[in-house]
Amino acid sequence: MEVALEDNSLMDKVLPPDEQEIDVELEAKEKKYLRGEGANLETLKDKKLKTQLASREKLYGKSAKAAAKIEKWLLPASAGYLETDGLEKTWRVKQTDIAKEVDILSSRNQYDIVLPDFGPYKLDFTASGRHMLAGGRKGHLALVDMMSMNLIKEIQVRETVRDVAFLHNDQFFAAAQKKYSYIYARDGTELHCLKERGPVARLRFLKNHFLLASVNKIGQLHYQDVTYGDMVASIRTGKGRTDVMEVNPYNGVVALGHSGGTVTMWKPTSQAPLVQMQCHPGPVSSLAFHPNGHLMATSGKERKLKIWDLRKFEEVLGDSSGDYSRYMSHSMVKGYQIEKVMFRPYEDVLGIGHSMGWSSVLIPGSGEPNFDSWVANPFETTKQRREKEVHLLLDKLPPETIMLDPSKIGAMRPSRRKERLTRGEIEAEKEVAVEAAKGVELKKKTKGRNKPSKRTKKKKELVENAKRTFPEQENSAAGKKRRIGEDAAAELPACLKRFARKN
Amino acid sequence: MGGLKRKSSSSAKALAKSKKKKGPHLPNSILKVIANQKRPLNSDEEDDDDVIGSDDEHGGDLYEYEEGVPEEESRKNNRYDRHDNYDYELPEDFEDENVESEDDDDGGNSDNDEAEGDDDDDDDRHTRMLQSLTGMPSAAFEGESKSKPVLFTEAYPEGEFNPTRDVLEGKNVLTEEDFLAPLEGTPGYQKTSKQIARMRKDTKHVVHAPLPKPQRERLERKAVIGLVDEEFSKWVHLVKKNREAPTVYFNQDVDLGYSTVGAIASEFQPRTEFEKKMASVLNDSEVSMEDHIKDHNHIAKMRSLLFRHEFKSKRIKKIKSKTYHRLKNKDLKNSSLGALMDPEMAKEEAMRQEAKRVEERMTLKHRNTGKWAKRMISRGLNVKYDGPKAAIAEQLQMNANLSRKMNSMRDGSSSDESDDEEEFNDGSDEDTPSRLIAKAKEKTLKALEDDEVPNAGLMSLPFMARAMKKKNEEANEEAKRALEEYEEWENSGGENSKKTVNVSGRRVFGATAKVEAPKESRKDSDNFYDDSDSDNDMAGIEDNNIEPVRDNASPARNTITEAEKFDDDVAGNPASKTTFDVAMFASGSWKKMTGSKNTESKKAPKKTRAPIPQAQDKKGPRDEESGDSESEAEQMVDGVLTSASKETFEVPSQAELINRAFAGDDVLDEFEKDKEEVLNQEVPKPEKPVLVPGWGDWTNIQKKRGISKQMVQKHEAEKKEWEQGLKTRKDARLKHVIISEKVDKKAEKLHTTTLPFPFTSKEVFEHSMRMPIGPEFNPSTIVGELNRPEVVKKTGVIIKPVKFEEVNPNDEVDDEHPRNHQKQRPKKKTSRRQGKVKSK
Repeated sequence: MEVALEDNSLMDKVLPPDEQEIDVELEAKEKKYLRGEGANLETLKDKKLKTQLASREKLYGKSAKAAAKIEKWLLPASAGYLETDGLEKTWRVKQTDIAKEVDILSSRNQYDIVLPDFGPYKLDFTASGRHMLAGGRKGHLALVDMMSMNLIKEIQVRETVRDVAFLHNDQFFAAAQKKYSYIYARDGTELHCLKERGPVARLRFLKNHFLLASVNKIGQLHYQDVTYGDMVASIRTGKGRTDVMEVNPYNGVVALGHSGGTVTMWKPTSQAPLVQMQCHPGPVSSLAFHPNGHLMATSGKERKLKIWDLRKFEEVLGDSSGDYSRYMSHSMVKGYQIEKVMFRPYEDVLGIGHSMGWSSVLIPGSGEPNFDSWVANPFETTKQRREKEVHLLLDKLPPETIMLDPSKIGAMRPSRRKERLTRGEIEAEKEVAVEAAKGVELKKKTKGRNKPSKRTKKKKELVENAKRTFPEQENSAAGKKRRIGEDAAAELPACLKRFARKN
Repeated sequence: MGGLKRKSSSSAKALAKSKKKKGPHLPNSILKVIANQKRPLNSDEEDDDDVIGSDDEHGGDLYEYEEGVPEEESRKNNRYDRHDNYDYELPEDFEDENVESEDDDDGGNSDNDEAEGDDDDDDDRHTRMLQSLTGMPSAAFEGESKSKPVLFTEAYPEGEFNPTRDVLEGKNVLTEEDFLAPLEGTPGYQKTSKQIARMRKDTKHVVHAPLPKPQRERLERKAVIGLVDEEFSKWVHLVKKNREAPTVYFNQDVDLGYSTVGAIASEFQPRTEFEKKMASVLNDSEVSMEDHIKDHNHIAKMRSLLFRHEFKSKRIKKIKSKTYHRLKNKDLKNSSLGALMDPEMAKEEAMRQEAKRVEERMTLKHRNTGKWAKRMISRGLNVKYDGPKAAIAEQLQMNANLSRKMNSMRDGSSSDESDDEEEFNDGSDEDTPSRLIAKAKEKTLKALEDDEVPNAGLMSLPFMARAMKKKNEEANEEAKRALEEYEEWENSGGENSKKTVNVSGRRVFGATAKVEAPKESRKDSDNFYDDSDSDNDMAGIEDNNIEPVRDNASPARNTITEAEKFDDDVAGNPASKTTFDVAMFASGSWKKMTGSKNTESKKAPKKTRAPIPQAQDKKGPRDEESGDSESEAEQMVDGVLTSASKETFEVPSQAELINRAFAGDDVLDEFEKDKEEVLNQEVPKPEKPVLVPGWGDWTNIQKKRGISKQMVQKHEAEKKEWEQGLKTRKDARLKHVIISEKVDKKAEKLHTTTLPFPFTSKEVFEHSMRMPIGPEFNPSTIVGELNRPEVVKKTGVIIKPVKFEEVNPNDEVDDEHPRNHQKQRPKKKTSRRQGKVKSK
């Protein structure tokens, strides 16, 4: 405690300009860790609560500061970047150019694996980016250790494979095959056959909830808990067959892209979509989410890419304008049918699964530079993996926690009744009405009745009438308050009446 | 009249200090009474002088009584009988210019009763004045005061023999001062005044009548409250601080006295004679502490050894088995220890060993030539089961041990090994290469000959049989190849270098491979996708040795790069049997897959050892080419395989794309319809009121009045609400979005219905919830602080009542310095405690 105090006193001192700069930098990071602003405590009447909350806030501030410092000083790696000088454009930079600049270890991440026989490949990475699963359309499943580039297991299932997905770690993976989907262990043994889902088109695993979500050929969305095998939800989307499915990593909401150009978002506890968005005039070809869950990118068959702000459900910017512009480009050989693109976690690597195997290209800055071994550890030992598994299971979230805004969990239940208009809104409406009343053109009346005085009087009347329809807010609020107080007093027994709050 | 100008406020002062009296003379008795009433109860012992002095301060409190108009006269109500007022009435607004109104003089005080006597005087004068003015009898003007229910009329003018009413009532009695006053300044005055003072002291003990009880108690309470408040307000800051502290600490170390024996011993003082003697011996003895400790340790060690030995011998003694004892004795005799001890014995021992060796070499005792061993070997049980295998191996081992020459430097471990090998190899003496090759050849031939198919059990199943057959075929092939190789080896002789082996091994077999491979692969590829279900049972066996699908006709084949060509021989070689080598040889980066090769080599026919070198030499060239192929792989990044793919995709033209994009142009309309539907579902539109025939009218002839006003109004209200509902939706302004506002009942349990206790506003509560406090989200330095309980207490600590301590009210409550609430220890201890908290 004393040490901490000394620190504080040090911080209070006037710092040299360099450190002040660092301070500014730290402040920005601190803000991130504060997760929003504290409540306005001035409004509180309860002094005890006020001081308690104030001390809490102080602790939060301290925590954020410590976290910011840790991020600043202790996180070793910084994100990659691509810098060009002068008129050069970043998207003109080719992979070969990058290969010259980067270190050997990174340049090893540029390669093509040519597997021409088993058709377009689907890819999936584990959360740590250590392992990759490749599923060829024609039944070739391969599990690769990306660190050593060793093939761990390779099997030929002799069926169409439509999608592959890792479960919570590299020990298990699921494959959507011709008729059913299957779960395999790391060594290629088939563990389960998931018959209930029917012929599955896309598979995704929700790792916080341990749910295996899939959409099948007839547009049914299934959620299955992989810990105890129950089908948590099966939902008929009613939008027809879809091949586009993605999970929002922030809240676990599953988004489907449909042929009508709509994107629908789903959770297992409701049969109706949470959100439906009309994103494209034609079919949606693919979807992607930002890791923080606020942004969604969609692309349509009409060759348009759109980015959506999911807090407002508005389009941020179309393609190649403003903040979002082309960053890099990579041309594949003509005729390669690209099946899947996926960034490798914690690496500046993009995996491309295509009809002739898969390729890996470098995209500087695409990966998170520092991994958190509590979240995902690429250098995990067996023991750590086992422990992690147990922890993951203990921290498993129930399916009902999937909602659009999970930060609302623990907050007050939203009132069922429709909320009344806020005062500001009413004021605004009132203003509009008054303006409308003022703008009314009066008829020209006969001589004598058309005096200016009379006209102004008439106008005033109109305005008054317009105002009258909106009741005075203050009065009603005060009346309500008094009534509440009275009610409380009336309800109380006689002996307690004197303690009723007086207004 | 001007002389009557009075200053009642200063009258008492004037009386006490200077004897120039301008105002009415107040008798001392009155002053005393006033003083008594003013001063508090417990001030009895005060001097009268003081009283008067104190009166001075309260001079402003004295006023004249202002008599109101009698109630009968004021006629406010008719409570009193009407009587004629026959006085001359002054007009209401009459104002005597010379007489100062009494109001002017009032200090604004209200204790009228006190000034009663004074008042009487005034009244007298006033009545007299009125009398003289009007000629009416004074009785007419005499006001009736409430305090004097009896009305005295003075029949005579005041004089020596006609005492005033005050005197009669015993109020305005003359006192010593009155008499003394004129004497002031005369020679004996001081003396007399002193005497009088002394006299008064005697008569001082006047006990005043106690105040009424409620009044007294009120005064008491007032006094007490003041004191208590003062006492309590000292604690306010302390209590406030405790209340506001996020954590209260009671975790002080409790000193339980001495904790170690040493601490107790250090305090020891010899008291008795014996103790003193001991102390002197201990202190004076030349034996140092270290030596003593050493001795002690040694003794302890010996003792424990002795004890153990005893224990052991006891245990052994207990064993009754004769065999054990016999063996034990024998052991003791034969032990090398004994041999070492005695050279004679050693010699003897050596002799015995030698004899044993000779015997062993002579007999076939340990060579598995026994009936049992023969049987085991002949039935192959020694391979199948671990037990016999181990037993046979043990025998062999024993044989080896016994037949080994003792103590000879000549045959080292290597020769031993060769011996062993000989044994395992069923006794072959030479190991020249030619011999080896011949042996290998022989074995291969043998392996070729015996391919029997078991006709019972699992292996007899048709598909298993098929698989077996296939395997055998492969094995045979390999064996044949091996044979050829041997032949070549034999021809070329022992000096044939490895170089030829490396190259030739592959070149020779390439041709046969190319003939074989396509056939098989075609068969496989037929099965792959068409009837996967029927083929599933095969999968279990065949999974491991799927042949690469590699038709000569396939376009991929034609466009193989140099790398592939380089590898072609290897890949096409059916002997190489690599599992899953789907196309891994196509790219150099798959070279790391050699692990699977090893498994493959194991699968080769067991008895033949020949394939191993082949596998090895296969590895050789691969290693050589690995550098090459990697560079080639890099070339492929830029797409050397341009026309490689089987399927050629036609990139649709721009126009076509746009056509496709706007094929379903009514998509937007559809979405709008959808939205309307959803909105109707979630915020149902109110139904329009309709007239139902037969309802609301008496006859059908009667003219219908239309929908009732009430219904219309209701509908209007509903409609308004509906509109409101639509407006407040989140997606009200977003044309392209439908946000469901259905309440998820399952998720409702994740929210609170009521605000938890101290909170009164939702916003504040939700803001306070925004920060997670768990260890996953916070630096470990803060987690403890964030999750500290309200009270930190060690078990067993007695919580004492709060002790008073000075608290600076301006200090902020700081969790950084955990305050100690039980300060009874010196500061050293507290600092230690804090250290502990820190490390926590």
